[in-house]
Amino acid sequence: MARKRKRNLGGDAGELNMTAMIDVVFQLLIFFLVTQKPIDTMANLDVFRPSPTPPKDEVQTPPNMIRIQVLPSGVITINDRTVGHSELEMLLGKLAGLSQNQTIMILCSAQSRHEDLVRVLDLCAKTGLVNLSVVSIN
Amino acid sequence: MKKRPEEPGLNMTPMIDVVFQLIIFFVTTADMQQKAIDESIRLALAPHAKPVETRDPREVVIEVDKNGKISIARTYMSPEYLYTVMKKTVADQGQTVPVIIRADGDTHHEAVRAAMDACTKAGLWKMKFSAVKEKAG
Repeated sequence: MARKRKRNLGGDAGELNMTAMIDVVFQLLIFFLVTQKPIDTMANLDVFRPSPTPPKDEVQTPPNMIRIQVLPSGVITINDRTVGHSELEMLLGKLAGLSQNQTIMILCSAQSRHEDLVRVLDLCAKTGLVNLSVVSIN
Repeated sequence: MKKRPEEPGLNMTPMIDVVFQLIIFFVTTADMQQKAIDESIRLALAPHAKPVETRDPREVVIEVDKNGKISIARTYMSPEYLYTVMKKTVADQGQTVPVIIRADGDTHHEAVRAAMDACTKAGLWKMKFSAVKEKAG
């Protein structure tokens, strides 16, 4: 009798009891599914920044440079002409067709929202323009 | 002779225990890395920008929140102090250090400008704005 019991114990140790393990695995799975937050796809927009200089720098700007201005109200002008987003995209596309390496100067006023600046940079990135210089104006 | 029947059956339980311990350890430490960024910042959308693929381990992430407060790794600082930090970074690692600005879409440009000016003064002219290419879920 005693011998038989010993043999039985040996058999139990050899077989793995899966129930507990599966319980724990499911617990972990549910825990991670619940706590996980979906991650947004991130993007980076490259910009160049001229050195902080007094406003006289603005006067020295060569007239043939493309100037995009971002105003506090969210209005965007290109070489002093007010444009909508679709029109700006079209114009930038034309410019990129000529040369993608030309410098675009983006003048951003202090009170404008960062989102508007990012939108302009995004349009520039879409058309493939790479030399983007962000200048702050008051 | 008595021990032989026990040998073929390998006891898996401790191994599985250790494997789970390792998995939990790595998952929790991977999460810790993301805690260094401010989750409350609502980044602007940029659907056409090129996505982030590789990350430079030297990169400095400067955050500007909705109220225009500047921080690095959740430590708030003045633009003057940011300049000191950036100057030290440039002195240590050179001018090729990538600077990433994570600014809230609603913040005014002047706060971002203060952060950018501090970097430029320290000798870093090239920087990146962080944006969301595609929202998940």
